[in-house]
Amino acid sequence: MGSQTGATAQDKILLLATESCAYPGADSVGQAHASYPANVYVLKVKAPVLFPEKFYLDCFRKGIGGIIIMSCGEECPYEGAYKAMAKRLDRVYELMKEEGLDIRRLRLTAICTVCNRAFLNEVNQMNQIVHELSPPVQAP
Amino acid sequence: MSEPQRAKAPDAGEQAKVGVYICYCGGNISDHVDVEKVRERMETVPGVAVARTNMFMCSDPGQELIMEDLRQGRINRVVVASCAPSLHESTFRSAIARAGGNPYQYEHANIREQVSWVHHGQAATDKASRLIAAATGKARTLTPLEPLRVTARRHAVVIGGGIAGMRAALDLADMGVRVALVEKTPYLGGGVSRLVRLAPTGEDAAHLVTTLARRILEHPGITVHAGSAVTTFGGYVGNFTLGVSPVPGACAPAGETWPGGYVPGKGVLVPPSPDGGAITLETGVVVLATGFASYIPRPGEYGFGENAEVVTLPDLIQKIGGLEGQRGGTLVIDGRPIRSMALIHCVGSRQIPGIHEEDANGHLNEHCSRVCCTSAINTANAIREACPQTSVYELYRDIRTYGRGQEELYAKASGNRVVFMRFGADQAPVVQRGAPGSGHPLKVTVTDQLTFGEELEVPVDLVVLATGMEPGPVADLVEMLKLPVGADRFLLETHPKLRPVELPIAGIFLAGTCQAPMDAGETCNAASAAAVKAVSLLSKGYVELDPFVAEVDVRRCTGTGACVQACLNPGAIALETMDIDGRPVTRARVTPALCLGCGACVAVCPENAIDINGWTLAQYEAMVDMIVSDAVCQDSGAVPETVGA
Amino acid sequence: MDSSKNAVFDAVVIGGGIAGLQSALDLAGQGYKTAVVEKDASIGGKMIRLSKVFPTLDCASCITTPKMAAAAHHENITLYTWCDVQRVEKDATGVSVSMIQRPRYVDIDKCIGCRKCEYNCPVLVPDTEQGGFSGRKAIRIPFSNAIPQKALLDVENCMLCGKCADVCPTKAIRYDQKPEPRRIAAKTAILATGYELSSVTGKPQYGNGDIPNVIDSLQMERLLAPHGPYGRVLRPSDGMIPDSIAYVQCAGSRDASMGVSYCSRFCCMYAVKQAMLLSGSLPLADITIYYMDIRAFGKNYEQFYQNAKAMGIEFVKAKVASLDAGQGGAVTVRYEDQTGEGATSRDHDLVVLSMGVLPGFAPGGVCPVGLGPDGFIQSVLPKLSPSVTDLEGVFVAGVAAGPKDIVDTITEAGAAAMQAAKYLTALSGKAPGAANKESSHE
Ligand SMILES: Cc1cc2nc3c(=O)[nH]c(=O)nc-3n(C[C@H](O)[C@H](O)[C@H](O)COP(=O)(O)OP(=O)(O)OC[C@H]3O[C@@H](n4cnc5c(N)ncnc54)[C@H](O)[C@@H]3O)c2cc1C
Ligand SMILES: Cc1cc2nc3c(=O)[nH]c(=O)nc-3n(C[C@H](O)[C@H](O)[C@H](O)COP(=O)(O)OP(=O)(O)OC[C@H]3O[C@@H](n4cnc5c(N)ncnc54)[C@H](O)[C@@H]3O)c2cc1C
Ligand code: SF4
Ligand code: SF4
Ligand code: SF4
Ligand code: SF4
Repeated sequence: MGSQTGATAQDKILLLATESCAYPGADSVGQAHASYPANVYVLKVKAPVLFPEKFYLDCFRKGIGGIIIMSCGEECPYEGAYKAMAKRLDRVYELMKEEGLDIRRLRLTAICTVCNRAFLNEVNQMNQIVHELSPPVQAP
Repeated sequence: MSEPQRAKAPDAGEQAKVGVYICYCGGNISDHVDVEKVRERMETVPGVAVARTNMFMCSDPGQELIMEDLRQGRINRVVVASCAPSLHESTFRSAIARAGGNPYQYEHANIREQVSWVHHGQAATDKASRLIAAATGKARTLTPLEPLRVTARRHAVVIGGGIAGMRAALDLADMGVRVALVEKTPYLGGGVSRLVRLAPTGEDAAHLVTTLARRILEHPGITVHAGSAVTTFGGYVGNFTLGVSPVPGACAPAGETWPGGYVPGKGVLVPPSPDGGAITLETGVVVLATGFASYIPRPGEYGFGENAEVVTLPDLIQKIGGLEGQRGGTLVIDGRPIRSMALIHCVGSRQIPGIHEEDANGHLNEHCSRVCCTSAINTANAIREACPQTSVYELYRDIRTYGRGQEELYAKASGNRVVFMRFGADQAPVVQRGAPGSGHPLKVTVTDQLTFGEELEVPVDLVVLATGMEPGPVADLVEMLKLPVGADRFLLETHPKLRPVELPIAGIFLAGTCQAPMDAGETCNAASAAAVKAVSLLSKGYVELDPFVAEVDVRRCTGTGACVQACLNPGAIALETMDIDGRPVTRARVTPALCLGCGACVAVCPENAIDINGWTLAQYEAMVDMIVSDAVCQDSGAVPETVGA
Repeated sequence: MDSSKNAVFDAVVIGGGIAGLQSALDLAGQGYKTAVVEKDASIGGKMIRLSKVFPTLDCASCITTPKMAAAAHHENITLYTWCDVQRVEKDATGVSVSMIQRPRYVDIDKCIGCRKCEYNCPVLVPDTEQGGFSGRKAIRIPFSNAIPQKALLDVENCMLCGKCADVCPTKAIRYDQKPEPRRIAAKTAILATGYELSSVTGKPQYGNGDIPNVIDSLQMERLLAPHGPYGRVLRPSDGMIPDSIAYVQCAGSRDASMGVSYCSRFCCMYAVKQAMLLSGSLPLADITIYYMDIRAFGKNYEQFYQNAKAMGIEFVKAKVASLDAGQGGAVTVRYEDQTGEGATSRDHDLVVLSMGVLPGFAPGGVCPVGLGPDGFIQSVLPKLSPSVTDLEGVFVAGVAAGPKDIVDTITEAGAAAMQAAKYLTALSGKAPGAANKESSHE
C-alpha cells in the first residue's frame, strides 16, 4: 500500500493522461490490482498540448504538489503535438524556476496501455519528490 | 458547397442540474469505497440535483434511474461513477440519448480501476469523492453537442492508372461511387505493362492489364482522364475540388490504335479525354495511386552506362519478352549470344550510410524493394528453362522470396542450376571489362560468402542489375495536397497498423506502391483496402465527425493569429475578415472538418478565446479546483490536517 | 453480444484475429450486419498476445485493443466467442454456418468481469496464455485485455468446490451450462482463421521439446510483454537472467523434411524485433541470430534490421543442425558456419525457435473451400484480387491465405471486406454500375 499516511491538502499529484495511451494504462494498473498512493488523480486528455503554461503554474498555486504528463510519446495520434508540447514545457520550467518551484514537480513521460511497471515507477517517484519538497504554496 | 453545421446552439443560459449515479459494482467498488457516504457528500456539491446509488449501474434498472430523472426534468447533466469509461461510457451516453437528453452532457468518474482496485479504506472513499466532485465540476458547464455532419459527394478521384488505381476505381464504381481516374500518360497499366510473366504465379502481364483496363473503359461510372494531371487542389473531406489539365506532350505516337489496344511496355491506350482542356472535378474522396519509379543506376555503378552489356532487370524483362524463338541453346539478345550472365541484386536498394554513395540530392535508398529478388529468380528460371546453354549467376545479399509460392521459385532455381553467390553489403561485386581473349566482354569479381569468403571471378556476356523501386516523382502533389512523406520518400500512412491506407487528412487514401514497394497482388490488396475505407466514408452521403473540435469566441478573439501558427493541421484554423457590430475585423475561424481537436491552438491564445468543445480549459480548471477543495471531504490519514479548507 | 440460436446477417467472418476484426469493421462501417465467429474465449488472435510489434515497436495491446473494442461495441457486429464451427455450407441462397458454442459455465449476460471468482478459486494450473510459465485459476478472465471481459471456467480442472459461485456478486456461475448449437445464415463469408506455430515435439534435431530452456517465439513474446508471466525476461528452468540468447531461424520452415517447405515470412522480423527488445531489457546479454537469409522486405523493415545490427546484435549466417542440452541449463547449438569455420557449436543460456507457421484451420469436412499445396486457403486471383477463393461469395483474409505480418494482414482484411461488399451489392439487385447509369448524365 502507498504512502497516503501523512497526506496533506498540498501533496496531490495530477496525472494528465492521454485518452489513447496513458489513461487505459492507468486502467490496466487497476485491473492488475496494483496499489499506489491515493493522492494521485488521473485526468483524461486528448492531447496535453492543449494546456498553456499558465495552467501548470495555476495548478501549483492551487496546491497541486506534482504533475506528470503521461503522453503517448512517439505513438501520439496528433502529428507534431509531442514536439510542440515538449517545447512548451521548456518554457514552463523557466517560469517555475522564476517562481522558485522545483522543476522536478513537473514531468513528461510516455506510458502505453499496459506499461504497469512504468506507471507505478513514475507515480512513486513523483510521490517521493513531492514528499521531499515543501508544499508549493504556503497555507493562507 | 456545404459547411459543417452544428445542429443546436449551446444553451448556455440553462441552469445546470447534475445527476450523480454511483455504482456498487456488486462489491467491487463498495468493498473499498463507502458508496453511501460518497452519495451523501455529493448531495452537498453545488449544481448537484440528485445523487443516487445502485448495485449495478450498467444494468437495466441502473440505467432506468438516469432515464427517469432526465424524463422528469430533475436533471440535465449526468455523472456516472463506476468502472473504466472504456467499458460503459457508451452505455450511459446512449441511455441519455434514449431518454431524450444530449449524450455529450455526460461525464464519467472512474472509481473502480482508478480507485477501489488500487486504494483501500478511507483514502479510497475520499479519492472517489473528490473524483466525482471533479466530474460534476466539469459536467456543470458541458454544453449540448451534435456530431459534425459534412455532406459528402458520392464521387472519387483516383490519381494514377496503374493496377492500384484501376483496382481502386473498379471497386469504388462497382459500389455505385462515380469515379474520375486521372493518369498522366496516355496509357492505363503502369509498371505491370513493363513486365511479361508475373512471379510467382506466371500470369500474363498483358492479360492482367487489359482485363482491368477493359472493365474500366466499359464502366459507365468511370471517366478516364488520360494524359492529364492534377494541377490545383482545395477543400476538405466530402468536398474536395481538383483542377485537372492535359499534360503537354502526353499523347500516343501516331499509328497506335485505341481504345483498348495493349502496347507492350506502355499499357492500354486510352481515348483522349472528351473535355480536351482543363476541367474541374468536385469530389468526396481522393485515392492516391501514383506508383513507383524504377531506380536508374548512376553512370559507372556496376559498369552501367559505360558498358553496353550492363542492363537493368526491367530492361532485360522487356528485351527477352516471353523468350519466343529462344527455345534450346543459348539466349540471344540483340543478336549477341549470351553464354553466361550475372544478375546482381539490391542495386539502388538496401543502401547503407557510410558504405553506399548518396545520389546527387543526398538521398540513399535504405529500403528493400521487395519484388526484385523474386523477379530476378523468376527471370533466371525462365532463361535457364528456355536456354539451357546460358549459365546464370545470381549475386545476392539475402534472398527474399518471402511470399506464397516464392520460396518454391528459389528452390526451382537451384534445380535449374542457377549459381548463387552471396556478397556482403560492404563487398559489392566489381564489374570490369573481360580479359582480352577470355571470350567474354565482362568479368564480375565477387567475394562469395557461400564458399567461405573465396574471391571468385566470373566471365560473363551480360550483367543485369536488379534495380529497385523508388518513389514516383510526385513532389507537386505532395506540395499541393500537403501529403506526409517518410524518411524513405514514399508517401507516409497515418499508422502502419491502425490506419495503413489513410493519411492524417481525412478523405485522402493511399493505394499501392506510392506508399512502399509491393508486388502486384499486394498492390491490389492495398487498393481494395483504400477503396473500402472510401466507400465506408461515402456510404451515408455525409461524414460524421467528432464534435470535439476547436471553436473561437469571436467576441474575445483579437486576431493575433497565434493559433494559426500553432495549428498542427495547417488550414484548420485561419484568420479571416468578418463583420462584427458593423465593423470589419480580423478574427480566427475554425474549419471543423479539418480540425483534429488536439488543442494546440488553445494553449497559445493570449485572449483565451479558443476552446475544444467538450474539453475546455475552464472545465479542466474546474476539475482541478474540485480535486484540491476540501469542501466534500477533509483528507484522511494519520497526520492531521495542516491547513483548513 | 446478443446471440440467439438462429441468426441472420449480411456477412459472417470466421476467426476473430486482427484480420477478422478488420474485415468485420470495414463491413459494419458500410452498414452491413456482420457476425464474427471465434473459437477462442476472446477475440484478438495472436496479435493481442504479442509484446511489441515491428517495425514501429509500438505495444501490441495498444493497437489491438482499440480494434477489439470497436468491434465489440459496434452496433452492426455480433461476436460469437468460444465456438466450434461444424460446417460452413454455401448454396444459392448464401452461406450457412453451423456451430456449437462451448459452455463457459458462466452466464455472460450477468458476469461483470470483476474476477472475484478467480481470486477465490483454489485450483492453480499452468497458464498457456503466459507461455505456460505462470499459473492461472480454474475459473478466470482468459487474460488481462481479453474481450469479452467475462469469466471462463475450465471443467477439466475445476473441483466443484463452489467457492466461485459463493463469491460471485451477480450469481453468474452456471455449473450446469450445456454446449449450445447455433446456426448463422449470411449472404457472404470471410475466412480469417489465421495460424498456429508448428510444434517442436516430433523434431528430434531440436530435442522434441525435452531440452530445458528451448522455447518458441510466442513464449518469448510473453516473456517480453510488460504484463508477462515474470514481468521480465528470465530463463524458465531456473529463473536465471540469461546472458546469452540465441535465435534459430527457419526452425521448421524452408525445409520440406520438417513439413514446411515455404517461408513463414514474419519470423525473421520478429526475431530481429525480439532481439532489439531483449537488448533493451537485458543490456548486458549477447544475442545471436542464426539465419539463412534475413527477410526484411516490408516498409521500414530493412532499416529496422540495419538498426539491430548497429545495436550489436550478432547475425550468424548458418543453418542450425541440432540442439543439445549443455552444462548447467545451457543449450548447445550445433551449426555449419558458412563464412569460415565449418561445423561448429556454441552454448547459449536460452534458445528461441522461430517455428514454422501452419494454417489455423483445416477446412476438410467443414468447408468445401480449395486449398493450396501448402494447406492454406487458395486464392484464385492472386494478382488482381488475392482475397477471392474458389467458392463464390466466400473470401479469405490474413494468414488464413498464407503467412503475413500484421500490416499485410490488415490490408488484406480491408480488401476482403471490399470484395465481400461488392458481392453483396451485386446480389442486392443493384447490378454493378446500375446506380451510376442514372447519375452519369450530370
Ligand atoms: C523489376 C520489377 C519486376 C517486378 N516483377 C513483379 C512480378 O513478377 N510480380 C509482381 O506481382 N509484381 C512485380 N513487380 C511489381 C509491380 O510492378 C508493381 O506491384 C505494380 O506495378 C504497382 O502498381 P501501382 O499501380 O502501385 O504503380 P505503377 O505501376 O507505378 O502505376 C502508377 C501509375 O500512376 C501514374 N502516375 C504517377 N504519377 C501520376 C500523377 N502525378 N498524376 C497522374 N498519374 C500519375 C503512372 O503513370 C502510372 O501509370 C515488379 C516490379 C519491378 C520494378
Ligand atoms: C512470435 C511472433 C511474433 C510476431 N510479431 C509480429 C510483429 O511484431 N509485427 C507483425 O507485423 N507481425 C508479427 N507477427 C505476425 C502476426 O502474429 C500475424 O501477422 C497476425 O497475427 C495475423 O493475424 P490473423 O488474424 O490473420 O491470424 P490470427 O492472429 O491467428 O487470428 C486468427 C483467429 O481465428 C481464430 N480461428 C482459427 N480457426 C478458427 C475456426 N475454425 N473457427 C473460429 N475461429 C477460428 C483463432 O482463434 C484466432 O483468433 C508475429 C508472429 C509471431 C508468431
Ligand atoms: S528484394 Fe532482394 S534484390 Fe530487391 S532490394 Fe530486397 S533483398 Fe535486394
Ligand atoms: S465473480 Fe462473477 S461477475 Fe465476477 S468475474 Fe467471476 S463470474 Fe464474472
Ligand atoms: S468451483 Fe471450480 S472454478 Fe469455482 S472456485 Fe471451485 S475449483 Fe474454482
Ligand atoms: S521469415 Fe526468415 S526465419 Fe522465417 S522462414 Fe522465412 S527466412 Fe526463415
